Amino acid sequence: MLNLIYWELFKTYSKWRTYIGFIAVGVLIPIIMWIMWIEGGKFIQYQLRTMQSEFLITGNLFNGWAIAQIIMNGLWVHVPALIALVAGDQLSGEATAGTFRLTLIRPVSRTKILNAKYIATLMYTASLVIGIALLSIGLGIWIFGTGDLIALDKEGIVILPESNLIYHFLFAYVLAIWSMFVVASLAFFISSFVENAIGPIIITMTIIAIFYIITFLPVESVENIKPWLFTTHMNVWQQALRDPFDWDIIRDSVLILGAYNGAFWGATLLIFKRKDILS
Amino acid sequence: MNDIILRTANLGKLYKKRWAAQDINLEVHRGDVFGFLGPNGAGKSTSIRMILSLIKPTTGTVELFGYDLFKQRELALQNVAGIVEKPDFYLYLTAYRNMQIVGSLTLGKSPADKKIMETLDIVGLSERALDKVKTFSHGMKQRLGIAQALLCDPQLIMLDEPTNGLDPQGMKEVRELIVRLTTERGITVFLSSHLLNEVEQVATRMAIINKGKMIVQGSVEELLKVNANKFLFHVEPIKKTLGLLAKIKTVSGIAQTEEGIIAKVNPKNIPSVINELVKAKCKVFSVQPKHSLEEYFLEITGET
Repeated sequence: MLNLIYWELFKTYSKWRTYIGFIAVGVLIPIIMWIMWIEGGKFIQYQLRTMQSEFLITGNLFNGWAIAQIIMNGLWVHVPALIALVAGDQLSGEATAGTFRLTLIRPVSRTKILNAKYIATLMYTASLVIGIALLSIGLGIWIFGTGDLIALDKEGIVILPESNLIYHFLFAYVLAIWSMFVVASLAFFISSFVENAIGPIIITMTIIAIFYIITFLPVESVENIKPWLFTTHMNVWQQALRDPFDWDIIRDSVLILGAYNGAFWGATLLIFKRKDILS
Repeated sequence: MNDIILRTANLGKLYKKRWAAQDINLEVHRGDVFGFLGPNGAGKSTSIRMILSLIKPTTGTVELFGYDLFKQRELALQNVAGIVEKPDFYLYLTAYRNMQIVGSLTLGKSPADKKIMETLDIVGLSERALDKVKTFSHGMKQRLGIAQALLCDPQLIMLDEPTNGLDPQGMKEVRELIVRLTTERGITVFLSSHLLNEVEQVATRMAIINKGKMIVQGSVEELLKVNANKFLFHVEPIKKTLGLLAKIKTVSGIAQTEEGIIAKVNPKNIPSVINELVKAKCKVFSVQPKHSLEEYFLEITGET
């Protein structure tokens, strides 16, 4: 199995499209930081405008951690597209290229081949999020320095001391990877019955967009289904920037996202095992 | 050495309301070059895809080396390799990497470097081992396809139209390679083709499939014996010769075709028939046996 995973990773990282995500992130994050360098003071002033009348704020609040948080909030819409670009190509790409005729006649079960591909897809997804983490925190701290983090959410503000931030962010990125696995699993699932690389990207993004619309739709009739949509739990990483953590919310979100991962993987396996290779 | 290594029973595939292949009962013996003949769209590729587990059959079973393909897939395919239609590869990787990937799927680990290079050398690609496959011509990809099939020393190689798109020299090389594989390495070759002369030149046994159904199966020699008494006469004048042949008791089944006159004659009577024609001052240019695979194929598929 390890051998299969190795070659799936080798194939994935030998393709040009795999690096589009890293290049996009590698270009976008420095641009965001450059804009922040020029306009960031105004941005943080705007964010803290209500507090400044009642609190005396000292120290470097516009620091690398704050920038990393802003970037994470900002990029979270685009990252799924970059993940779908690779995950959606894993099965459909081989079907289009005709290479299934090369691999699926070998004495290895389709289940093992599919699992190796799925694990490689998840590893790519994790590597992209880790890439975002390293670049935004590393570059952020290098340019803007370090300090405490003021995290804003619907319930108010949280001030996280600098000494604990590394653990909060580590946890946030682990949760982010978990939620991005759902996007990867969805694109992977769609790629099992589509024979071109563009289809899974478009369908994945369309499904995510529809789910997001329902999630943010202020209509009572959809309130019951909202907790079961994966998009409702995609921002679970924000829970890691709280003190103390709300473990009930984190547990529910992790379980629901995990159920989606399992369901997409199971459905893909079912389709792939029965699929006739006609290309 | 006469054991059956591939056996299919009532193998069939139904697409909506159309049978792409139906009741395919094949028996391939160890050491055969087994020709699988049929016109385009006859169901050859569908049958091969079912045998190699790319397509799930609607009916029937496949047994490879005594193992049921659908119950013991990994054991059944352990000694099998093949090229289904055109060989496709990971174009963005080198020939060497492609060989490593294919080898590791069969062996569970990457094959030895020496083995890969030796196999590439057999098909004349060792010097291009580190080039990306996207830079290869069709002929080179075809040869790489054969190399990947040979890599793990299979006992049975399934080749689906292996000379498609090759120039005459390339086709000759592939035919020679097939013969070498059987004689030197003892590999059984299952050769699907619509090129009759290709199969005739290399196959020891064959099956003919048409419109999804298998028509006949047997040794090439035996099947061609059916037409062994047919001869083509190139003679002049035609009308006079037709009249003369009709009077000779040992001649039957006389027919005039675009090529000349075809008649059934016991080969031992040919000299006396020629003698009669010459005596009657007919010009005899040639008398050729007319029992090619093409003739047989056209006759049996009802295309004549």
